Amino acid sequence: MEEKKIKVECFRYCPETDDAPYYVTYEVPLAGRMSVLDCLNYIRENLDPGLTYFINCKKGFCARCALEVDGKKVLGCTCEVKGDIKVKPIKEEKVIKDLWCKNI
Amino acid sequence: MPRAEGYVDMVVETDLLVVGSEGAGAQVAIEAANRGVRPLVITKGAIGRTGASQCAGADFNVDGISAKDLGFSGDDRDSDEKFFSDIIHEGLFLNNQKMVEKYVEYAPKSTKNLLDWGMRVYYYASVHSEEMARGLTSSGKRWVNALRKKFKSMKLPIIEDAMVVDLLVSSGRIAGAVALNFRSGEIILIKAKAVVLATGGFQMAYPFNSATYDLTGDGQAMAARVGVPLIGMEMVQFIPTTILWPPIESGSIITYIFTELDNRVRLLNYPGDRFMSRYDPKMLEKSTKEIVSIASELEVMAGRGSPHGGVYFSMKYLGEEELEKIKNGVIGLTKSLGETRYEFKTLLPRLIEFMKKEDIEVSNACHFMVGGIKVNELTETQIPGLYAAGECSGGLWGANRVAAACTQAGVQGLIAGEVSPGFIKRVDQEEIDPLDVKRIVERIERPFKMDKGVKVEELRRHIHDISGKRLGVIRDGKGIKEAIDMLKEAMEEIPGLYVSDKRSRKLNREWISCLELDNMLTCLYTTAIASSARKESRGAFYRSDFVLTNHDNFLKNTIVRVKQGKFEVGFEPIVTTTLSLPKGKMTFEEAVGVATASLVREDAKRGA
Repeated sequence: MEEKKIKVECFRYCPETDDAPYYVTYEVPLAGRMSVLDCLNYIRENLDPGLTYFINCKKGFCARCALEVDGKKVLGCTCEVKGDIKVKPIKEEKVIKDLWCKNI
Repeated sequence: MPRAEGYVDMVVETDLLVVGSEGAGAQVAIEAANRGVRPLVITKGAIGRTGASQCAGADFNVDGISAKDLGFSGDDRDSDEKFFSDIIHEGLFLNNQKMVEKYVEYAPKSTKNLLDWGMRVYYYASVHSEEMARGLTSSGKRWVNALRKKFKSMKLPIIEDAMVVDLLVSSGRIAGAVALNFRSGEIILIKAKAVVLATGGFQMAYPFNSATYDLTGDGQAMAARVGVPLIGMEMVQFIPTTILWPPIESGSIITYIFTELDNRVRLLNYPGDRFMSRYDPKMLEKSTKEIVSIASELEVMAGRGSPHGGVYFSMKYLGEEELEKIKNGVIGLTKSLGETRYEFKTLLPRLIEFMKKEDIEVSNACHFMVGGIKVNELTETQIPGLYAAGECSGGLWGANRVAAACTQAGVQGLIAGEVSPGFIKRVDQEEIDPLDVKRIVERIERPFKMDKGVKVEELRRHIHDISGKRLGVIRDGKGIKEAIDMLKEAMEEIPGLYVSDKRSRKLNREWISCLELDNMLTCLYTTAIASSARKESRGAFYRSDFVLTNHDNFLKNTIVRVKQGKFEVGFEPIVTTTLSLPKGKMTFEEAVGVATASLVREDAKRGA
């Protein structure tokens, strides 16, 4: 099976411990067609258990997993990843931790 | 000794704590508030955007006569007695008949509430339409939006993104609960005269499921920890033809729903055989959920599965032209219905396009928990002041659910909202033992305070391996025994769980996962020991070492109790009213009403 590896550049920021936001780049194997949330799940489950983002239905119902991916506002669950991506919170000024914002 | 308040970050007082905000929970709060008590809802997500309700298909049961009163076409051939009898036959007679009577009685009332609150309906399905429950079809989104609107209009208090972790019981009565607020990382003590659990299922305890990430059996586990029995926990319903691959679509049941719209779908195994012709030559893919699930599983076990362990969902034989027509039909239908759900509007047309050239890998997803917290027809548990409504409760459906889970949520939510205010008005707030609060807070904080230990993700993977391989669609004594031993060992690892990311207590997913995993393990363990006790096959429960449905020995409910940290499994007689219980033994296929099916594998027939 074709398995290509992509780079996921993730916004990280914990206001209680960090002076400023920063980015961490993770390598994620694309196994079949994957969404942004599939990639974030892979990172959390295998590389960095602390990565914080919202996930609930993963099927486009709850619409709380809004993210900014490569400058576009998307839902993480339905946005397909095809190559390297840069993931940011939907509203940087409203971040509680990493990719999870207030009032989502 | 400090007061109970000294162990927590925040204290709130309420008449009625409702745990869960969706189909069941929102209805409880609305009804209780209408009856003059002050509810507080605590939910793991945001109201209208959490749990299973939002994803529902969604059908709502109303008998054919009551449907007419609600302004639908209805069905004169129907009656309460027929509705009652159908549910019990579908539940293979394990149902609590008093609960079924209440369900039939309350279904029209609870549905009327939803219509009054603005839930729009697509169409009415008659009692005689196959595979469609009698009643109304709407959507999960329409349902929870109507509930949310009503809830918000009443300005009822709610704490969102928070998890109730444990219940407080004093002098045998409910006294409140302790919760973790995800957003703030604060621990909350809730003083309450009554608590309703409306927390849904524990599908996330299975590696492949059709549910949302928050369904981790919190209600069942916290009830068990205060000694409330769980009933029928072996009854886990799986739904066949759920998308298995690719990951972006995995867990969607749109394929299953599609089979109800278009019955030309074929299921193929790895060499491409239409395998249902061997298991149910007459009904083929249109056989019951249980038969299709078991047949699919048998194919995979025989080495005839797809690369990721499923079977193929295929329409290629119809040709590209016909599939184009089907796709356009779906697009037209969703437009005319004003359908906005992603699965219908975007995913389904894409899948049909895909099926012109390829087949879709599908499998059996853990879908619905038939058993749960033992309650009576008034949603009361054995602890005064503690109630359970919706999927987290057990007893209504017996061995299988064909009728509407949405209506269960509405009916039991309404009943709990009617019954609990009477209790609340009779009692004073029970004194809370500070030591109970201390013990619970220590349990919550333990993984956060430990510097090293067991990684939650590793233990999660391990228990998924156990549930996926040994507590799935087809079980046997050996696998169940292994599951019991392995789950017991896994439970001993729980106190060793630790959180590696200590940046903040706020939104600490790893920390939340530790608490959820504990609950999922409790639920799975009860499923395993209840499965071990039921030495037969019935409804949603199939054992390859006991394939008969044995009315003579197993027309009784499994009950699991936790006493001093030890799990005990036993049986209790079925609560009956008017329908007498059958006798004898019959094949599983006959019992589920598909006498044409045979669940014997081809290689087994040949003696291989």
